[in-house]
Amino acid sequence: MSTGPGLESLVDQQISVITNDGRNIVGVLKGFDQATNIILDESHERVYSTKEGVQQLVLGLYIIRGDNISIVGEVDEELDAHLDLSNLRAHPLKPVIH
Amino acid sequence: MLFFSYFKDLVGREVTVELKNDLAIRGTLHSVDQYLNIKLENTRVVDQDKYPHMLSVRNCFIRGSVVRYVQLPPDGVDVDLLHDATRREARGG
Amino acid sequence: MATEEESAVKEPLDLIRLSLDERIYVKLRSDRELRGKLHWVTVWLLQAYDQHLNMILGDVEEVVTTVEIDDETYEEIVRTTRRTVPFLFVRGDGVILVSPPLRTA
Repeated sequence: MSTGPGLESLVDQQISVITNDGRNIVGVLKGFDQATNIILDESHERVYSTKEGVQQLVLGLYIIRGDNISIVGEVDEELDAHLDLSNLRAHPLKPVIH
Repeated sequence: MLFFSYFKDLVGREVTVELKNDLAIRGTLHSVDQYLNIKLENTRVVDQDKYPHMLSVRNCFIRGSVVRYVQLPPDGVDVDLLHDATRREARGG
Repeated sequence: MATEEESAVKEPLDLIRLSLDERIYVKLRSDRELRGKLHWVTVWLLQAYDQHLNMILGDVEEVVTTVEIDDETYEEIVRTTRRTVPFLFVRGDGVILVSPPLRTA
């Protein structure tokens, strides 16, 4: 039986995390454990709004508790480089309601 | 039948995972574990215009605790097998 | 073919299992209701006192009720949206109640 989320292949890669309160944090995965607690380096938050493009807030080294994580996505760097974030408008994601 | 073993039969099939934040993600099922954590490949968010937050993500890990539903492929559901498994569990098998 | 042993209803879950292959009603958190044919149900024991009823339903109709407040009149506007899904796995932690089909004569 597997133990843990199996994110080994993503270590040292750019990942995009959606948290349970609807935030989107992008950074380099440095470590994780069986509870999906993760260490992110060089991270930034992407703040979505309908009034202006996506704002990027620098966060740096972050540890996110697994309880608060909804999604860990592998960032396709080529796709990401082609995103026009300054013109991307959207409502922020809704929080997870259990 | 462990509750997640059914999902193992669906590996490689297209499913839609609906989350408790109303996001729906379609992709190829790569793996499921005992917490019902789900890994999908070749993902796309169902309503990308409304939810462009994962445009550069093609593979993702979804934490089981935020899953509301999983839409299953109709031809991947063996109803008789599911009925048998439910009755077996009822008898403590 | 249900044997006497199988059809004995002692615990709530026994009643749900009796509804196998029948249409049931499921009320879920966040104002969602499902009607569908029960194909699979399993108890998932998280802790000794906490168990989930994970289910697979077929031919599912989902009804979602949302309440909005009108900006001007402050009246409550109740909306229901419906959709159908061929097969749906339902994670048990959202389940509030399960009702078997009516067995009136």
